[in-house]
Amino acid sequence: MALAKVLLLALTSLATTTLADVRQYDFTVGWVDRNPDGQHERRVMGINGQWPIPAIYATVGDQVVVNLKNELGDRPCSLHFHGLYMNGTSHMDGVAQSTQCPVPANSSFTYSFNVTQPGTYWYHSHVDGQYPDGLRGPLIVHDPENPYADQFDEELVLTLSDWYHDEMPGLISSFLSVTNPTGAEPVPNSALMNDTQNLQIPVEPNKTFFMRIINIAGFAAQYFWIEGHTFRIIEVDGIYHKPLEADMIYVTAAQRYGILLTTKNDSSENFAIVGAMDQDLFDVVPDGLNPNVTSYLVYNTEASLPNATFVDEFKPFDDILLEPTDELALFEDPILSYTVDVKMDNLKDGVNYAFFNDVTFVRPKVPTLYTVLTSGNLSTDPTVYGINTHPLVLDHNQVVEIVLNNHDPGKHPFHLHGHDFQVLARGDDDSGDWDSEALSNGTVTYPATPMRRDTLLVRPNGHFVIRFRSDNPGVWLFHCHIEWHVDSGLTLTVVEAPLQLQQQLAGKIPEDHYDACRAEGMPYEGNAAGNTVNLLDTQGMNMSPGLLPTGFTPRGIVALTFSIVAGLLGVAVIVWYGLSEITPTEQEREESKIDALAKSSGIVEVTGVNAAEVDTKGKAGHGNARPV
Amino acid sequence: MVNVFAVPVFFILFRETLETVIIVSVLFSFLKLQLGPHRDPVVYKKLRKQVWLGTLIGLAICLVIGCGMIGAFYGLGTDKWASTEDLWEGIFSLVASLVISVMGAALLRVSKLQEKWRLKLAKAVEAKNSEHHGASMRQKMKAFAEKYAMFFLPFITVLREGLEAVVFIGGVSLGLPASAIPLPAICGLLAGVIIGWLIYRGGNRMPLQTFLIISTCVLYLVAAGLFSKSVWYLEVHAWNKATGGDASENGSGPGSYDIRKSVWHVNCCSPGVNGGGGWGIFNALLGWQNSATYGSVISYNMYWLAVIVGFVLLRFKEKRGRLPFMKAKVAECKFEAKKNASRGDSSVDHVAEKKDPAVNVHNGGDISPA
Repeated sequence: MALAKVLLLALTSLATTTLADVRQYDFTVGWVDRNPDGQHERRVMGINGQWPIPAIYATVGDQVVVNLKNELGDRPCSLHFHGLYMNGTSHMDGVAQSTQCPVPANSSFTYSFNVTQPGTYWYHSHVDGQYPDGLRGPLIVHDPENPYADQFDEELVLTLSDWYHDEMPGLISSFLSVTNPTGAEPVPNSALMNDTQNLQIPVEPNKTFFMRIINIAGFAAQYFWIEGHTFRIIEVDGIYHKPLEADMIYVTAAQRYGILLTTKNDSSENFAIVGAMDQDLFDVVPDGLNPNVTSYLVYNTEASLPNATFVDEFKPFDDILLEPTDELALFEDPILSYTVDVKMDNLKDGVNYAFFNDVTFVRPKVPTLYTVLTSGNLSTDPTVYGINTHPLVLDHNQVVEIVLNNHDPGKHPFHLHGHDFQVLARGDDDSGDWDSEALSNGTVTYPATPMRRDTLLVRPNGHFVIRFRSDNPGVWLFHCHIEWHVDSGLTLTVVEAPLQLQQQLAGKIPEDHYDACRAEGMPYEGNAAGNTVNLLDTQGMNMSPGLLPTGFTPRGIVALTFSIVAGLLGVAVIVWYGLSEITPTEQEREESKIDALAKSSGIVEVTGVNAAEVDTKGKAGHGNARPV
Repeated sequence: MVNVFAVPVFFILFRETLETVIIVSVLFSFLKLQLGPHRDPVVYKKLRKQVWLGTLIGLAICLVIGCGMIGAFYGLGTDKWASTEDLWEGIFSLVASLVISVMGAALLRVSKLQEKWRLKLAKAVEAKNSEHHGASMRQKMKAFAEKYAMFFLPFITVLREGLEAVVFIGGVSLGLPASAIPLPAICGLLAGVIIGWLIYRGGNRMPLQTFLIISTCVLYLVAAGLFSKSVWYLEVHAWNKATGGDASENGSGPGSYDIRKSVWHVNCCSPGVNGGGGWGIFNALLGWQNSATYGSVISYNMYWLAVIVGFVLLRFKEKRGRLPFMKAKVAECKFEAKKNASRGDSSVDHVAEKKDPAVNVHNGGDISPA
């Protein structure tokens, strides 16, 4: 019996290895016209003339090759595979100016990587905040060893998204502008499911579906629920968790949920699947905006499609309650605990920027990964990466902790490339900064097997604590996944095990990657300023605008002084004029006028009580009688 | 304490009343000194009535408009006023500034020209419309303005100040209990009125010349501030339109002002935030802003330049009978004639007005030869 088992195992593993495929995708990115919400037709970034863009499918162990051709005509692009660790292939992570140069118009670029993790992922452009213009789609990795395989009958992919009628470049320039000092993010025009609305999903009764829900939005989180049904959450961001039942989940931009939905016994009614955009971050909601999108579980094609019903309150499931299926224990105390404070503030150009610890992200002249590869022993010195990439240099294979304090009243979904992380604690709304006192006095206990994911929500004026192991040499961004905040600089760069990375990738960067740099004349060697000679000299690196002056500048002092002088001078002139006596000339003139007036108005000048009194000094109560 | 006495409300009402009473009490004081109850009681009474009417009618109108605004805000839930508030403020301030400037110069000349002023006032007040038959529109308007100057000046002032007070109180009272408003409002009003009364009494006690010089200086400082504020308000209005909202929701921090136009900005000391306090008084009397723009600073200096040049030219004209670089007017000829006559020169044939009853004197202007 045991032998049979062993043989069976050996056979299946052989089968799996021999069945490991190369999945090749030839993607040509270009413009197509679409009208997904039925309200407005616009250009979108399609792939091979299709939009929604095709999904990428793979099985654990596959190698995926994506040949990207940029036919957008006037702008660069790239592709990032969100959630994949890219172990050993950090140069395929697709982040412009971090792991590659952007792929210029009319150029090609090949991504090639192994997929070692099952789950629900997605891929999108990582250049110039452009992916909400359409360049985003699902990436599904099938798992032949899915622990829940026997619990469902069919798989279903459902993407959630916000949708803008205007193109990103225009929206970005009005967002990052002196006339938007509060940093109000543009409000989406509608919400979509699977890049459409009113989708009908035919289902049979008594079946269980494994629904992969992916929020591919650029901004809005969505509350998601299925009327009349509850579901069991078995996966978040590609990590299996022990099933927990829920009736409503909150999916931030970039998050994924894998749920098991068991359909009802009878097929008389149809039910609405509702996604409602979270309007808390919407600045001014225009009249007529419908923040909801509805799809339908169609049990019965004859029955009517229901209207979504009002919900009094949103009560979503708290993902921190999940426990991972693999029961990975809490990582030991970290070698490095890095605290970042998140804030939004205005700089000298009047624009509202986002900051980690008073540093706002600005892209370097040389992609950070190429700096790692060309800086030798100095690659462990954060100086070479520049100030505004906000580098966090890590040693290999150590437990690292990030404590994030949100000093902004907004909700932010933070994402770490190249890893999933354990979620140790998350503060409620307005819980303030993380206080380790809470650990020592027992108010907060870290879970023994913490939930793991790669994109985590922080609450307004709250905090969270996460841990991961630096076992993946590479250049990985840690950033808010609200695309507007990426544009305003809420990003830092994790430079993980740079020395190991140099060994790993030496000579492995393909020529087409460097061609992308050469095509636009961008440097690919040296530090953040492109200096290959003196790596510690970062003069000329890209930096953020300076700070706003908080008090009187020299210009202000001069202006105030001038104004005071002008006022005093003016007052002096008035006094001078007031004190000066009437001149003989003027007196004569006035006398004649007075006479004329007297004549024409018939007022007779008489002496006595009503006598006219002209006195050049004019003292009140005094007067000299003056004969007319 | 804050439940019965909201300090911002006190300061708002105090500074609005202050600006108004300075002008109104100067006018009253001037009238009393110039015309006095003993000299020409009819004219005096009429003009005093004008000032009172101007003040009270202005007050009534701004109460009506103010209450209407607040009613609309609470009732309809819209703050229509907010989007145009700065535009109104800018225009009102500009008009007030110009009116005060003109009146100020006029008041100052009075001390030297008492007789003419008394007669002119009398004439203006008594004038019948038929006298102006055939006069040009400009002359008619001038006559009208002169006749009712004493009404218009306080009317415009009270209207502006009153509307400001109603709107500001409407704004700050949103966060306050209703019980906290009446007491400081009345106190602020009283404080302002007391100061005005002191000015009136003080003005009556000192020599007319001194009183006029001091009050004119104060008036011009206020007018300079108003002129600068007018430009400032118009720029704030443009900024609010550009940012699509009330930039003052940022308080006095970054984003509440246009960095491109800023000359100085301090994050404190704003005359607008939360009633303004002492800075509001500073703003009312001298035009102080915590966030100054090129426009507000340059306009302030240009105003004083204009005033200085204006007074210098006025003096020049008084001395020489003409403006610089221009021909002498007839008056000088007449003077010359007198001089020449006394010297026995009769070749000058400019006719003295006394001998020519046919000369037109519609507006008491310069003599034109027949």
